[in-house]
Amino acid sequence: MRWVKTAYNWLELRLQLEAPIKEAALHPVPRRTASWWYVFGSAAFTLLLLQIVTGILLAIVYAPTAGEAWNSLNVLNHQLELGWFLRAMHGWGSSFMVAVVIVHMMQVFLFGAYKFPRELTWILGVFLLLMTLAMAFTGQVLRFDQDAYWGLGIGASITSRIPIVGGPMVHMLLGGPIIAGATLSRFFALHVFVIPGAMLLFVALHVWMVLKLGVNEWPMPGRIVRRSTYLAEYNKMTHEDGVPFVPVAFWKDAVFSGAILAAVAVCAVVFGPFGPGGQPDPTIIQAVPRPDFFFLWIYAALAYLPPSMETPFILIAPIIGISVLLALPFYASEGEKSWHRRPVAVLMLTTIAVSWGVLTHLASFTPWSPHMDAWSGDPVPVRYLQHATPLVRQGAVVFQEKQCRNCHALDGSGGQRGPALDAVATRMTTDQLIRQVLQGGGNMPAYGKNLSPAEVNALVSFLETLHPANQQPAADASRREVESAQSSLGSAPAK
Amino acid sequence: MRLRNVLPAVGAFAALLIAGCNHMPGAPRAQELARPEDQLDFTALYKTNCQGCHGVNGKNGAAYDLSNPEFQALIDDENLKMIVTLGMPGCRMPAFSRQAGAMLTDEQIDALVKGMRQAWLKPAAFGNDKPPAYDDDQKGDTAHGQLLYGSHCASCHKDSPQQQVTSPDYLALMSDQALRTIIIAGRPDLGQPDWRNDKPGQPLSGQDVTDIVAYLGSLRNPASNAAAPAAPVR
Repeated sequence: MRWVKTAYNWLELRLQLEAPIKEAALHPVPRRTASWWYVFGSAAFTLLLLQIVTGILLAIVYAPTAGEAWNSLNVLNHQLELGWFLRAMHGWGSSFMVAVVIVHMMQVFLFGAYKFPRELTWILGVFLLLMTLAMAFTGQVLRFDQDAYWGLGIGASITSRIPIVGGPMVHMLLGGPIIAGATLSRFFALHVFVIPGAMLLFVALHVWMVLKLGVNEWPMPGRIVRRSTYLAEYNKMTHEDGVPFVPVAFWKDAVFSGAILAAVAVCAVVFGPFGPGGQPDPTIIQAVPRPDFFFLWIYAALAYLPPSMETPFILIAPIIGISVLLALPFYASEGEKSWHRRPVAVLMLTTIAVSWGVLTHLASFTPWSPHMDAWSGDPVPVRYLQHATPLVRQGAVVFQEKQCRNCHALDGSGGQRGPALDAVATRMTTDQLIRQVLQGGGNMPAYGKNLSPAEVNALVSFLETLHPANQQPAADASRREVESAQSSLGSAPAK
Repeated sequence: MRLRNVLPAVGAFAALLIAGCNHMPGAPRAQELARPEDQLDFTALYKTNCQGCHGVNGKNGAAYDLSNPEFQALIDDENLKMIVTLGMPGCRMPAFSRQAGAMLTDEQIDALVKGMRQAWLKPAAFGNDKPPAYDDDQKGDTAHGQLLYGSHCASCHKDSPQQQVTSPDYLALMSDQALRTIIIAGRPDLGQPDWRNDKPGQPLSGQDVTDIVAYLGSLRNPASNAAAPAAPVR
């Protein structure tokens, strides 16, 4: 082992890295900071390393051209040994990275760690979050399947709404007026060189500041941050009641990072790679594109906005959001760190988290457009036809053939643009059903011109059977009066 | 734990992963199809194009029971292919071919016809009996048809005249050929008997079926179909 020592000394004499590394590793951190709450930053860094390693391996096979990208992903999935696993690790790694970065940011916010003197660390962190999201989006584009194609189309159309510079920006982003070969090359360059390069630089500065300024102390109610006294207080805290970063705090970071990597691997093995979905060809209309999970909330938010609000929201909301994040450490650089004394901060975080969760949930099942092949693919539930008369059965055929099913679900399958019709007969009388079919209304087009009287009669007699066995169909009381009056008139004896 | 204890475990895990990599739950199975029109698998084509009306596995759907072996024996390849290609005029069966403005290519329609034959056509579906012809251009005898309807059909088709097979609304949605097919081959998924068993022991002849269809046709009300879109040209 002598030669190892000799070689080490030879290198150390020239590099002189031992002292700074020792200093960084052994720097004291507040005792309570060596906590499981402080592991998310290092986990995000570990995931970044994973993404770099898997990304390099993928780049060896991936062909960033419009004609070959999709095929090269299929080669990875099906022909290369463990190619699918590599793709799955990179894909799940990206999902985990977005999640861990967001959790890290929430924790830093909740612990007041952005306050003096760590404002710049927070600001770089905000940019790192934006870059992580940009990596996620550009990565989704490189998958170059139907989701990628249409996701890119939506991205471009969002960009195009910026006044004056929108058009040229789209042109620059896509490398031309349409999504083509140049688009993919640009996104490849962004995903592989530009954003990762900037990201590594920012991460280096971010970590450098964490080492130099020290890890945030555990927030205690009543321990107020003041610019004039904080540095001295922190210095005293770490030197009188501090522990060396390695190994007291570091082992928790290491264990958590390892657990996250294991979780990525388990997800990769169990759930497999993302896509690629259908071929990215705008002439294939059987496509139901949908963004990856971290952008689903935008999808839902935009869908629920009234159309007139879309452009202002798209253009103004991100600017406000990012400005607020950047201004936060300047607005609140002093004061309480503990969440016990920051009710507004806690409420804000809770509100944002709940809204984000709700929007994501809505986006994962809300019908964005009719389900175009429900009419020919989802059969009418057998129990609705069990005792059907010939006319009702024909009504069910009309129901399918006129593609009512694309917007209306029966027994949970079918489109969701319109209401499910499983119990429609309890809500609407025969007359109301006929009127709705002929004239439409609400969100429904009028079908009067597309249906013959026989088709309407058959369809409505089918709809009239759609009610639970123990519930009577809706009936019009006045109509019953008229009918009974008519029948009594008709049977009145002649004088 | 010493490193030398951990290394074999890691090595074994890696070896297992590599050995079983194509059997992991996440390993992609079927290759994504390049384009939808390359789909030539009968099961997949039936699922996306037919089962909405004709039911899972060709039965218990709103529209006709395609899995009925007697139907499959009655109709020849040419007629079956023509119905899928161009639809069935006078019925709700739409055209599915590209030439008629829908999505399926000729190869896909061939695959559907072949798949239906393989799945549902059984040898000797009629036993020793010879069924009436699939189609018949003769004009039927309405009065005789009405008599036959009374003796062979009305015992089951007896409730609520507005909902029955004799209602003008129903008849406006069914072509003569569709009525003829159902009378001959029956609908086993609904319990409707074939031409031999409408009245056991007295099978209908080809002419009888034509007469019943003529009788039902005479009940049609031309106004019921007034606003219907033009049927595809056959």
